[in-house]
Amino acid sequence: MLSFIGRSIIQKIITLFFVSIISFLIIHLAPGEPSQIDPLNPKFTPEILERFRKEFHLDKPLYVQYLLFYRGLFTGETVSWKDNQPVLKKIWERFLNSLPLFIVGTILTWTLAFPVGIRSAIFRGGFYDRSATFISYLLISVPGFFVAYVLIILVVTNLHVPVFGMETFGFEAASWPHRFMDRVWHLLLPSALGATGGIAVLSRYVRSQILEVEGQDYVRTAKAKGLPPEKVHYKHALRNALLPFVTMFGLILPGLIGGSVIIESIFSWPGMGRMAYEAILARDYPIILTVNFISAVLVLAGTFVSDLLYLVVDPRIRL
Amino acid sequence: MTNSQETLEGPLAPRQTRLQEFWRLFRQNRLAILGLVFFVLFFITALTGLILTSGHDPLFDPALIRLQEKLLPPFSRPNPNTLSPDEFPTLGLYLLGTENLGRDGFARMLQGAWVSLTVGFVAVGISLLVGIFMGGIAGHFGQNHIRVGDILLACLLLAGGLFIVIGYVYPGFIIIAIALVCAIGRLTSRINPTSIWSAIVNRAAISVDTLIMRIVDIMLCFPSFFLILTVVALLPASIYNIMIVIGLTSWMGATRFVRAEFLSLREQDFVTAARALGVRNFRIIFRHMMPNAIAPVLVSATIGIATAILTEAGLSFLGFGVPPPHATWGNILSDGKRFIFDAPWLTFVPGIAILIVVLSFNLFGEGLRDALNPKLRER
Repeated sequence: MLSFIGRSIIQKIITLFFVSIISFLIIHLAPGEPSQIDPLNPKFTPEILERFRKEFHLDKPLYVQYLLFYRGLFTGETVSWKDNQPVLKKIWERFLNSLPLFIVGTILTWTLAFPVGIRSAIFRGGFYDRSATFISYLLISVPGFFVAYVLIILVVTNLHVPVFGMETFGFEAASWPHRFMDRVWHLLLPSALGATGGIAVLSRYVRSQILEVEGQDYVRTAKAKGLPPEKVHYKHALRNALLPFVTMFGLILPGLIGGSVIIESIFSWPGMGRMAYEAILARDYPIILTVNFISAVLVLAGTFVSDLLYLVVDPRIRL
Repeated sequence: MTNSQETLEGPLAPRQTRLQEFWRLFRQNRLAILGLVFFVLFFITALTGLILTSGHDPLFDPALIRLQEKLLPPFSRPNPNTLSPDEFPTLGLYLLGTENLGRDGFARMLQGAWVSLTVGFVAVGISLLVGIFMGGIAGHFGQNHIRVGDILLACLLLAGGLFIVIGYVYPGFIIIAIALVCAIGRLTSRINPTSIWSAIVNRAAISVDTLIMRIVDIMLCFPSFFLILTVVALLPASIYNIMIVIGLTSWMGATRFVRAEFLSLREQDFVTAARALGVRNFRIIFRHMMPNAIAPVLVSATIGIATAILTEAGLSFLGFGVPPPHATWGNILSDGKRFIFDAPWLTFVPGIAILIVVLSFNLFGEGLRDALNPKLRER
């Protein structure tokens, strides 16, 4: 057990090292430099350009830049090129904004996907199963930004609630129930949109997992000895089918950054995805690299946690 | 012919060919058939769209601006008083309305269909090529070890390439030349196997399988949409860049499938038999093993096309897609979102088109998965 943990941590650190090199190379070898982003701006005289390049070490060789950047990242000194704010502080603020979206989205996903998946597995081939299947394909296939606009039309014209941003501007003086409801309305649409794909995929997965377990011998035995169907489904089948999902708790970590770019830009939500998008537009390399690095860390930490959970939960696995 | 006669005289081969059996199973899945139908329709639409909207004087001109006819709803007729005869839409009406510059929505959708189709197929083609290649190597030659000498050579080559990319062309070429000479030397000469040098150079460092799977792990660490967005934003805007970038960031699934299939196939008797007959590695991989390993890859490729189309639409939506004036479904939607309350068709038409195409690919892929699944064959 301990040797497994040690080995996998070392392996993950090596992977992280290569990820950092590759993302650094991708960004720095791409044509164009951040100093050339706005060549027509009269403020960018050659002297200022030179100072800019010196300030951000762009005149040094690549490996020096690499070392300087990651040293700065770990000591917390790296600053954004756009506004000279420390990168980690900026990301932390945006992360706190993204967190409610992520939490509500995850809760929606997990609370909706399981009942739907279980029910369609138990009534396999029935009307409910077939319509749930079709709807989940529909949700997987529909472009998120399109649903976003359809929902915006519906909600804004029918319910007359504000949806853009995190809260209504100039609402700070209102009483707290008003402000609370305001926040909830702002939160609801983007997090529901973020959850749709997850609900569809997860419910399909739950369904197939339960179907697989229902075909096992011990479930047939349970049925044959005359147990009530509820007991067979929920005690014998469901418990074993749930095993893989415990480990998926680890794998949702990377979702903190991943899919939120489009949704956050539509809803003007000042979260991490939108910050990353703005950083890409402004060629703000420190932010892009740091977001990339953090999300790689999250992926690796997620797989590590899920491996550990598998070990804890499933006694059949011995390493 | 009765059953008993058949067992006596008939051949032992299955009565149905693989394709027939596949089709029999596939036909039972009505959603998958629906997906196939829409898939074929989309293919035809995209091809005719390419023919009808390209060239100097296309039948449907997607770029013709008629400012006096802007934001007309679908099925509206053009006003003959303000429009010269050669500006008239080919069908005599705007089938899908016009957008904010008065360009014909139908023509633009036709033009965009081809973009979606090529992005999907080329990106998935690239990812399949890379994925099958890497997976095949990892699965078939996985147990072979890479020696220290090979790693050093690869590092030399890489360093030379990097030098050239950075701008030091001359030293770069010298390093590459040295590396090539060393490689030829390693292949031809027989160094005394007892010397220390040969012990170091020939020391096994890492197995091919481990190396490739570590590369896959590294690639999986990148947040894919964010990575694609970054690279596409940094590179000059072009449709080919998008295809290549989507393809190069999505080959990991195919690699894993092919590797897993190969690992189990290489132990099977027919491969041993082929090897005993003296069949070459290349032929064993591509003629004997690949047809047996391809089913899960095909399924994931079909669904990959759907994902690639969605990704391209998302990129176009964020403004990093195909540069204007070329229309794609993503940028029609992105342009239309500003007029969402005045001209909702500009949002709904491309949105629903993307939905139908992606849905048909997904349904078709799932149907394929069910029909190709050997566990379901007997039922």
